Amino acid sequence: MNTQNQNGYMLLFRGTELRKSLSPEEMQRVSEKWMAWFRRLTEQGKAVAGNPLEREGKIVSGKDRIVSDGPFAESKEAIGGYFLLDVATMDEALAIARECPGLPYGIRVEVRPVAGECPMASEARAEAQLATA
Amino acid sequence: MNTQNQNGHMLLFSSNEWYKELSHDEIQKVISQAKAWFDRLNAQGKIKGGQALARKGAIVSGKNGRLVSDGPFAESKEAIGGYLLLDVETLEEAIAIARTNPALAYGTSIEIRPVTDECPLDTWARESALQEQLANA
Repeated sequence: MNTQNQNGYMLLFRGTELRKSLSPEEMQRVSEKWMAWFRRLTEQGKAVAGNPLEREGKIVSGKDRIVSDGPFAESKEAIGGYFLLDVATMDEALAIARECPGLPYGIRVEVRPVAGECPMASEARAEAQLATA
Repeated sequence: MNTQNQNGHMLLFSSNEWYKELSHDEIQKVISQAKAWFDRLNAQGKIKGGQALARKGAIVSGKNGRLVSDGPFAESKEAIGGYLLLDVETLEEAIAIARTNPALAYGTSIEIRPVTDECPLDTWARESALQEQLANA
């Protein structure tokens, strides 16, 4: 995968397991490493935004717009935060993802190319082109 | 929960490729509804940022990130398709905004999460330390 992407990449950090396996001192150490990592990427101009998310929140879904609690505190899939990277290739985004200080403790990093427009719109256009071809 | 949050709230959108089951005209209708929704919020100054994500990517895991797998981003209902950063201070207002999204009727679900400044690890460390103190008291 070495396609160029002008829109950058998003890293989504998933998992909460490290909460159970680390002592408070270890957590602070990982946190300091994480912040230092983000500062370095920002100074290098590679990270343009990033934030942790609170472990609370809600999910809205369905025609009836039902509001439910998410499993944000416990779930392996829960997103704990994100970085937005201004890098042009998937390889570079992956190389940065591999530096995540949470990896040894079960954190998984999702690496996603940012789309220039809503994928719904681009696919709809592609299908319309097919239909008229 | 009615806590104020200066950092705003994040909406994370997930859906399967529901638009494959709609006709071209229906898709256009939903797109224009979604665009009107976005434009209205933007005009009200409620939007700080937002982007769509391509339906591809990778997941890095394991010590030193030695495992790299392709995610099931195309088919999965759970896959995040995009996000919106809302400049609103309460979870209630963020929920109220999310509930007006036109794509909900077509199978999209929206996760609403308060954005924070503090690393969750620091919060956990503080909580664990407090629990230890209480246990030893």
